[in-house]
Amino acid sequence: MFKMKGSPRITKVPIHKRFVMFWVNHFQHAVGTLGELWRTPMASLMTMAVLGVSLALPASFHLLLKNAERVTASWDNAAEVNLYLHQGLNDKTTQNLIKRISLYPEVETVTYISQSQALREFKEMSGFGNALDFLESNPLPATVQVTPTEQHSSPAAAKLLLVKLQREKEVEQGKLDIEWLERLHGIITLVVDSVVAVAFLLLSSVLLIVGNTIRLNILNRRDEIEVMKLVGATDAFIQRPFLYTGLWYGIIGGMIGWLLTSSMVLWMESTVKQVAGLYQSDFRLLGLSLSEFVFMILLSAVLGLLASYVSVKRHIRLIEP
Amino acid sequence: MIKFEQVSKVYSGSHQALQKVDFHLKQGEMAFLTGHSGAGKSTLLKLISLLERPSDGRVILNGNDISRVSRRHVPYLRRHIGMIFQDHKLLMDKTVFENVALPLVIEGYSRAEVERRVMAALDKVGLHGKEFCVPVHLSGGEQQRVGIARAVVNKPPLLLADEPTGNLDPKLSTEILKLFEAFNSVGVSVLIATHDLGLIAKMRYRTLTLRNGKMLSDGLMGGEHV
Repeated sequence: MFKMKGSPRITKVPIHKRFVMFWVNHFQHAVGTLGELWRTPMASLMTMAVLGVSLALPASFHLLLKNAERVTASWDNAAEVNLYLHQGLNDKTTQNLIKRISLYPEVETVTYISQSQALREFKEMSGFGNALDFLESNPLPATVQVTPTEQHSSPAAAKLLLVKLQREKEVEQGKLDIEWLERLHGIITLVVDSVVAVAFLLLSSVLLIVGNTIRLNILNRRDEIEVMKLVGATDAFIQRPFLYTGLWYGIIGGMIGWLLTSSMVLWMESTVKQVAGLYQSDFRLLGLSLSEFVFMILLSAVLGLLASYVSVKRHIRLIEP
Repeated sequence: MIKFEQVSKVYSGSHQALQKVDFHLKQGEMAFLTGHSGAGKSTLLKLISLLERPSDGRVILNGNDISRVSRRHVPYLRRHIGMIFQDHKLLMDKTVFENVALPLVIEGYSRAEVERRVMAALDKVGLHGKEFCVPVHLSGGEQQRVGIARAVVNKPPLLLADEPTGNLDPKLSTEILKLFEAFNSVGVSVLIATHDLGLIAKMRYRTLTLRNGKMLSDGLMGGEHV
């Protein structure tokens, strides 16, 4: 009646029943811990709110970047190459050059601005007006404005095109107005890096907060855990409800984070619309997509579970009857 | 069932709780373990249920040396031992039913089976109809019966009781002991630690006496050796 040969792990319940009850048990714990959270709403809401806020911050940074990238993406396409031609070229060579450039596969449009045209424009724009009439000769070069096709309009591709165009012997100098774009990209990369760092810090604080809450839960139920160990509960059985608590903290905290982020988007939308209107743009603020929502909840759930797992592993072992 | 071979236990701070203790409790046997307080009764019981590990010697449970059972296997071993405590160790915020059901839930019995067995155990200890009470609303004797019901609910082959009548008056104590006798009569081995000598004298069972951690006598009260 009391067999212990080999492993003492014998049981009076057949394996298939144990398997079924294992899942029934899981389900009971999952529902039970949710009920427990419901019965102590203030305490659990605090923890979940901290989780939500910590997640909402990196999420809104992410949204900010996503929208900023959309804005700058349209700026990228404005990349334009200006070619300044040598003085004193005759019409035929100039026409030849324009024809050659427009046959480049990378080139979308070519616009020619002659020397006199340039001077006229300069007169109008600069406000020097008739003062320029006193110049002996026209100092402005003839210019060819080249717009690359869309797939060649990224800073790197446009730069390649510029080098190619500069090899034309009629061209004295080429200029690509992308320095500011490169700087902007640099700044964006910097912001992304710092957001990643801040997000990392916030998420570690989430781990610590949830871990500590679970630790307090465990200490509160010290007597119960002792009794359970006395009657033969395994650590896995004892830690299950705490792991579920952590999981719920994560899931609900993630939802709070999503709500916070979404309401922030709603709140800013009208302002953004107004600003976009001033720039004659129909830009609309993008919120979190479905996949981003799912990712956020999953990340939060994993964090909650991980934090409670670490806490449970440390503290349940220490409680011995 | 239980065999101690030269078992010693030294607690940190060099307090010698047990010194070279030898004894053998056979399967289906019932015995008392007695001695003054601090003689090592609790320590001896704790060594059997692996709440403590021996410093020296071997503790053998049903032919298996449990001194070296890994931590992972301890819970499974404890499921074969029903333990009863002086302070009952009940969960005060749970009902009597939930308290008694705990070992069965842990082992993975189905709801219907749990219900059937819990009711049977409560019936046996005379607490029928109290299953939905909370322990705080029960008397000391009733709380102890809940503890006993929990210890026997999964039908362990061995019952260990540490001062089970410590807080009870003589009449209730006798009733509790009658319960142990009833379990013993169906083949359960029982070891009861108590310093209530009057109680032991009333029931003629084998008695193990400890003094300062040493096994003084092993036999019936009155000198009749087994």
